[in-house]
Amino acid sequence: MVKAVKGTLVKCDASIKAMLVDIDEKHGHDFIIEELDEEHILVKDTKIAELKSRLQGMMKERLKEPESSGSE
Amino acid sequence: MPPKRKAQADDTDDYEFADEETPSDKETFKTFNRLKEEFDVVAMGKRARATHARDPASFLFKKCDQWDAALKPDHNNRPLWVDDAGRIILESFSPIFDEAQDFLINIAEPLSRVSRMHEYTLTAHSLFAAVSVGHSSQEIIDKLDRYSKTTLSPNVVAFIEKSTSSFGKAKIVLKKTLSYIESDDPTILQRLLQDPTIAECRADATDGLIKEAAPKIGMMAIPGTKMAAGANQLAQQAAAPEPQRSSDVIASLREDDDDEEVAQVHSFQIKSEERERVIKRCQDISLPLTEEYDFNNDEVNAKLDIDLRPHAQIRYYQEKALSKMFSNSRARSGIIVLPCGAGKTLVGITAACGVKKSVIVLCTSAMSVVQWRAEFIKWSNINPDDIAVFTSESKTKFPRDAGIIISTYTMITATRNRSYDSEKVMEFIRSREWGLMIADEVHVVPADIFKKVTYSIASHSKLGLTATLLREDDKIDDLNFLIGPKLYEANWQELSEQGHIAKVQCAEVWCQMTPEFYTEWLKPSSVQKRSLLSIMNPKKFQACQFLIDYHERRGDKIIVFSDNVYALEKYARKLNKAYIYGATPQAERLRILENFQHNEMVNTVFLSKIGDTSLDLPEATCLIQISSHYGSRRQEAQRLGRILRAKRRNDEGFNAFFYSLVSKDTDEMFYSSKRQAFLVDQGYAFKVITRLEGLELRPDLAFSSPQDRRELLMDVLLAKDEQLGEERIEGDMFSSIGSRGGQARRKKGAKRTAGTLSDLSGGQDMAYIEYNKSRNKDLTKRKGVKNDFLRKLNNKPGKKPS
Repeated sequence: MVKAVKGTLVKCDASIKAMLVDIDEKHGHDFIIEELDEEHILVKDTKIAELKSRLQGMMKERLKEPESSGSE
Repeated sequence: MPPKRKAQADDTDDYEFADEETPSDKETFKTFNRLKEEFDVVAMGKRARATHARDPASFLFKKCDQWDAALKPDHNNRPLWVDDAGRIILESFSPIFDEAQDFLINIAEPLSRVSRMHEYTLTAHSLFAAVSVGHSSQEIIDKLDRYSKTTLSPNVVAFIEKSTSSFGKAKIVLKKTLSYIESDDPTILQRLLQDPTIAECRADATDGLIKEAAPKIGMMAIPGTKMAAGANQLAQQAAAPEPQRSSDVIASLREDDDDEEVAQVHSFQIKSEERERVIKRCQDISLPLTEEYDFNNDEVNAKLDIDLRPHAQIRYYQEKALSKMFSNSRARSGIIVLPCGAGKTLVGITAACGVKKSVIVLCTSAMSVVQWRAEFIKWSNINPDDIAVFTSESKTKFPRDAGIIISTYTMITATRNRSYDSEKVMEFIRSREWGLMIADEVHVVPADIFKKVTYSIASHSKLGLTATLLREDDKIDDLNFLIGPKLYEANWQELSEQGHIAKVQCAEVWCQMTPEFYTEWLKPSSVQKRSLLSIMNPKKFQACQFLIDYHERRGDKIIVFSDNVYALEKYARKLNKAYIYGATPQAERLRILENFQHNEMVNTVFLSKIGDTSLDLPEATCLIQISSHYGSRRQEAQRLGRILRAKRRNDEGFNAFFYSLVSKDTDEMFYSSKRQAFLVDQGYAFKVITRLEGLELRPDLAFSSPQDRRELLMDVLLAKDEQLGEERIEGDMFSSIGSRGGQARRKKGAKRTAGTLSDLSGGQDMAYIEYNKSRNKDLTKRKGVKNDFLRKLNNKPGKKPS
């Protein structure tokens, strides 16, 4: 039987895509429906919010914030 | 996540201004004093702020809120803002900007000089320097007030007065290779001696026994008459026993001292090795010592016959710098900061010609020793025999009484057993007095090494030369005590506008990480591996290839810098370019550099860290940086310096190019912004390039297929951690010495890498690549031949314009 899943197309940098794939892998492939190419992936519609927050967390954790001007 | 934490730890070590002080007594003392000093300036401002009225926006201006300071009615014509904490902002578009700048550079330290606004700060050091150049405190306050848009706050005035009043009371002098503290006023010396630290540093060389008997107070203030240095010494020795009778005479003696005429000079001897500590301490108890050398009246040390050649033209900023050093016809110790390529060497040589006594020059590598010697011969009429060179290869002395000796920091400070020859030369250096010591690239010298240098070499005055007076640790302050205050700092933008250094376009090229590399990068692994992944990013590689091609076609000579040797080799081999790193033998290096300079076929050279400083390549006009030492601002500036001296800088519309390749979304972005801080302060603007036009259209891009990229990735992952590390530190500063050891170690044994059987058999998509290891060597050798041939060719039709 054909099963339809509603998805959202995510267009992002290659590096962000790598992060998304990484998140997906760590959580039992719960997010991504299809990796289209280097900059596009199809993500489950229902999981968008969660994915966003996870990505945000990951970026915060992995990347150092570039210095904002005037902090010194 | 352990690697992450590790990265952070690394970070703080390198970039934050980590307090690396060891908890020894002396160090804590130092910290305490520094804190005290800090307290004075900053807290003063804070207290002042508390008295200011607050308004709803005050919280935005925590550092300095001057909103209620009344503007002078004619504030439009005045160029300065001075705040409570002693920071000064100068409007560079003001009509009297030049005048104000000349004044400010004397009394304050420049923090940042971008195009429209310059920022300075008043510090105790800068004010001392101002006084030593001949400004009185009243003059400073008056002038500052005249330029300021608002009335000076009483705090600033008080700070200036406090810092300048105590200046010049006591000085430190050198007699017969021993250090003395001298003052007109014996009470000052007594005050000094009451300080436990200074009392501790007293030397008992004149009369050990008696000093031991009564070590407490300043009864040793030896009266002597103000005579020429040599006579003074004799007089002192004669007079020494007299006041040292016993402790109960002291009281009366001190009164005697007070009654004595002002014309007399009093002094006591300090241990030479504690010299720096004493200077520091005196500064802390706000009785800073001045260090001046009255070379005209020094008849003890032989004169050196040296003069500038008539063709040597001193540029105006060099003159300004030197006039600071030689005001009132004495040589003052200090540091002169000029951008790379602006003629630091000539400043050093002119200083030597001014002092006309024996000179010792210290540089960072044997290579620059050779350069210094050549420059001395080029610019001055000195007899080449009088220039001695003291390196591991050659150890000579000058035949006459006075001369110049050029050496490296390592040679002077080496603690290992020396050969007989070098021991003899060292003895020679130690046993004499030097009129002037020139310390080249003074910022690289760690304090403890330099302390040794100053201890083992008795020099009357010291001149430090550098382009970047900054370090990521806080050791730069130590130079204030070891050498002296900053005498002059040139404005980079001004010099480049006048054509003394090249105009540079700076750009930061953002390269996307490819997904494969980024996936690996995200995995927890060692710091080195991650940094290598971001360096070896194929997109970066392509960008590098593109830029090299683009600039080669324009006729630029390109230097590519990579800190990481593994990447350096990979890039250079792949792109078929010559490369030099720490382990490259000297002969090969010279051959490659010569090719780079003269051979039209060799337009690009890859350099590791060893090329950062002191390498003179006036041909280079374009610089690409693919990896760097974390957030080191100094390295960035020094690298930029490699192209500032570009020969073609005066061609119309000429620009040199400085590219920094950065992998997006990695740590490099963070460090890159840190690194640029210094250059931005000097007024350079970094453009960000996110896309190189026409990059995709090239058919011959490296790593264009996913297959190639995967192979590269495999390669990187299999590389061993040691290989990935930053280059050995010895290679940085003392290249030829350090590298030899490294090379020996490298050649030993076969390379062993871990891998699974399936990997090796190709099951994991691994492929074998043939490394044409010998090809690189062939290349350089062949180039050597080619070069000779080409040069002959070039010589026939006359010189081609470059």
